[in-house]
Amino acid sequence: MQKLGDFKLPHFFNYPPYFTLQPVRETREKQVQLWKDLILDYCRTQKLFIIGLEEEFPLFSNPVIERTLSHEAREAFFSALVSEGRAEWLDKGHRKCLILWHRIQDWAGIILNFVKDNGFEDSVMTVEEIRSGIESRGTELHGIDRTILMRALKILEQKGKLAIFKGTSADDEGVKFSV
Amino acid sequence: MRRRPGIGGLQTAAAARDQYRLLGENVAKLRTDLMKEQLATFRSQLEEFARKHKTGVQIVEICLSTRPLNGGLIDLQELCKLLRQKRKHDREAVSEDDCLRAISKLKTLGSGFEVISAGKKKLVRSVPTELKKDHNEILELAQAQGYVTVDEVERRLSWTHGRAIDALDTLLDEGLAMIDDGHSDGKRRYWFPCVSSISSFGADS
Repeated sequence: MQKLGDFKLPHFFNYPPYFTLQPVRETREKQVQLWKDLILDYCRTQKLFIIGLEEEFPLFSNPVIERTLSHEAREAFFSALVSEGRAEWLDKGHRKCLILWHRIQDWAGIILNFVKDNGFEDSVMTVEEIRSGIESRGTELHGIDRTILMRALKILEQKGKLAIFKGTSADDEGVKFSV
Repeated sequence: MRRRPGIGGLQTAAAARDQYRLLGENVAKLRTDLMKEQLATFRSQLEEFARKHKTGVQIVEICLSTRPLNGGLIDLQELCKLLRQKRKHDREAVSEDDCLRAISKLKTLGSGFEVISAGKKKLVRSVPTELKKDHNEILELAQAQGYVTVDEVERRLSWTHGRAIDALDTLLDEGLAMIDDGHSDGKRRYWFPCVSSISSFGADS
C-alpha cells in the first residue's frame, strides 16, 4: 500500500480515473465520497486546518501514476465538504478552505474535557496557552488553528462556561473558565 | 312415554364424554408432536441450506459491496480472492470451481447473477445489465492494460467512430467504465474496474 510518510493511502488513490471528475452521477457520487473521506482523514492525522486549492498539497497529485486533480475536481470535493459542514471557504474565490475534521461543537467538547482533565475549572489562561501550553501537548488541542479555537471558545462563552477577555496586546486574549 | 336419562344413562354419557376428551387430547398431542417434528426437520434443512449456500450468501455480499466501485461486474479471480479473505477463519478453502458452482445456484434464484466471459477473463455480473457483444469486445480489449482509448477501439475492432463512442458511453452510463483525462498525451482513457483488481490498482504504463 502506498504511503505518504506515515499515512496509508487508500487504493483508489492509485487508480487514474479517480483523478478525473466523473460525468456519470452515481460514479461521481462514489468518487466524491471517497475523496471527502480521504481529505478529512489526512487532515486529521496530519493536523492540517487550512488547505489552499491552488497550492501544493500531497493529495492533489500522485506521481506514481502521473495524475493530478484538476482545479474543477478539487473545487468539487471541497465544496462537497463545505455542504456537509465539514469545511468552510475562507474567501469568495474559493481558494482557501478551512477543514473541520472536528466540527466546532466537537472542539468545544474537547476543550471542556481538557479543562476538566487538568482541573482548570476556575482558572484563567491565555488563548495561546490553550493551544500551545504544556498541558496541551499530546492532546488534540495542541496546535489547533486559532480561528477554530476562538469559535469553539465563543460557543462555550455563550453557554456560560467561560469568559473571553482581551489582554495587554492583540495576541494576549485570555479566558476565564467557569465550568 | 318420554325416556328420561337415568343414573346409568348419565354415567354412560359422562364416560363417553371422557373418552371423546381423551381422544381429542390424543389427536391434539399427535398434531403438536407432528408439527414439532416438522419444524425440527425444517429448521435443520434451513441450517443445512444456509451452510451449503453460505458461499453464495458471501458472494452476494461481496458483489453488493463492490458494486459502487465496479458497476456490478467483478473479475472472478478477484471475487475468489475477496471470498478467501472473508473466510479467513473458515477451515473450508474455496476454489474457483466452488465459486462458479455457488454462482450457478444463485443464478437459479433469478437474482441476475451470471458469469460472462470476456477474452481470457471470467467476470461475474450481479446486475441485470445486459452486455451486448460490442460491450463484451471492449471489455476483452481492456484487459491488456485495464483501459482503452477511442482510437484503439476503432483501430483494433475496425469500428466506426460512432460505434465506438456509443458502446463506450453505454458502458460509462452503466457504471462499468470510468473516464481518465489526465494522461500527458491528452487522450481520454476509459478504465474498467471490473478487469482490474479492486484491491490493488496498478499504475498506468
